[in-house]
Amino acid sequence: MASDKVMAIINVSLGLIAVLLLINLFGVELPSLGQAKLFLDKEEPVCVVNWKEDYSLWGDIDSCCLEVRKQLGCELVVEGLEDWDVDWVCKTGEGKVLKYWLNDKAYNYCQQSVIW
Amino acid sequence: MVIRIKKRKRGLSEKIFLVLIVLVLVLGSLNIAKAKGWLIPQQKFEVKDGVVDLSSMSLEQKIAQMVIVHGGLHNLHAWKNMQVGGIHLFALQNGELYKEIIDKFQEEMEIPFFVTVDLEGCWNPFANFKQFVAVSEINSTGEAFEKGSDEGKFLSGLGFNVNYAPVVDLNDEIWKCRSFPGDEKRIGELAEAYILGLQSEGVIATAKHYPGKTLVVKDPHKFLVVATIAEEDLYPYNYLVEKGEVGMVMVSHIIVSGAVDSEGYPSVVSKEVIKGVKEGFKGLIVSDEVNMLGLKDYYLAIENMYVDLVVAGNDLIINFNEDPNEIWEMILRIKEAVERGEISEEQINNSVRKILIAKGLTVIES
Repeated sequence: MASDKVMAIINVSLGLIAVLLLINLFGVELPSLGQAKLFLDKEEPVCVVNWKEDYSLWGDIDSCCLEVRKQLGCELVVEGLEDWDVDWVCKTGEGKVLKYWLNDKAYNYCQQSVIW
Repeated sequence: MVIRIKKRKRGLSEKIFLVLIVLVLVLGSLNIAKAKGWLIPQQKFEVKDGVVDLSSMSLEQKIAQMVIVHGGLHNLHAWKNMQVGGIHLFALQNGELYKEIIDKFQEEMEIPFFVTVDLEGCWNPFANFKQFVAVSEINSTGEAFEKGSDEGKFLSGLGFNVNYAPVVDLNDEIWKCRSFPGDEKRIGELAEAYILGLQSEGVIATAKHYPGKTLVVKDPHKFLVVATIAEEDLYPYNYLVEKGEVGMVMVSHIIVSGAVDSEGYPSVVSKEVIKGVKEGFKGLIVSDEVNMLGLKDYYLAIENMYVDLVVAGNDLIINFNEDPNEIWEMILRIKEAVERGEISEEQINNSVRKILIAKGLTVIES
């Protein structure tokens, strides 16, 4: 059998887990580290719409997130864009397809969304 | 003596351990059940020979029919239990996967789901295995009809019955491929031909995004988008409504003034804007997806937004929130608004009647 010290540590840990589960059950939202990081990051989110040779900056990040969510997937950019600093490209299939280019700020913001 | 105290201490620690482990297991199970939507009461339903008695439906059942959600398999049981009106699917790897998912959703459903998709403009969620011409490359009504018909055949083959297309907004400055080429009159004609082709294959078309200007607004503010609507922006909608063919019209979140005035509200929650399209239109009014900050930021409490969406006159509300509990909350908040008299039950009945008829059911009221 475990020592008194070990039992105390296990019980405190279980108590903390129980509290967290209870908080989650009642839907209390706590500010997460990810949200804090996002808040402190002053970089502007970038979403660039790309069809064939046309590239346009899209300022409506929430709508951009929805369009990105509809895609098959996103991958890290190997070769970026000339006019914008981007880290991710999101698309469905290869060839002549609509693409959305995002920087890390926009991509992380989208992933925090309730639709993700 | 010391040994006895130690034994008693250990006995107490072990008892606390047992209580806590049971508590963690129970709370863990409840959390999983909540996340999966298992705590949401099941909405039992009975349809006989394709006939639905509206008066036999509970208010929750009727409101649930007005909701379109994202059809992820992780929420299969929750959406089926709630009997929501429709599921929307995003891009998937292949056609078999679409068929499999749609079959799983439609299996044993007394009222079938609307199965919706965005195959519009140059956005093709099937691009991984099927190519379509972009609407910007369509130049004649014959080509537009053929495109609609081809896409309709393909979509109905997979199990879809609603396409959120065509986009009939003018001057596509952002994508340069989402709208038909030409002026408002040409766009109206090409869109009509596309709609006829699509709907001839049993897939409902959606003219979007009323009242226009969604392709030209480039973030005047960070989250609130405003635009001035001209008469030509409204032309394609008025033309299509007058023709009486299009099954749905989608309303945007843009705050508008000019030829139509949303009086400072986002269009989708503006009675004035929706009244403009609803007059003379027999089809369904569907909201754009509601989790955009341009709309959400307008409200201090999200339940007020849910209520306003119905008060304004939307028949269908698109909410892709992945948490089934939030969707259930929305249904309950709207139900409370009906009970308070803020929304008439007759309005809910009118919307649900149109939804059920569009699904091919016969509606009676005993």
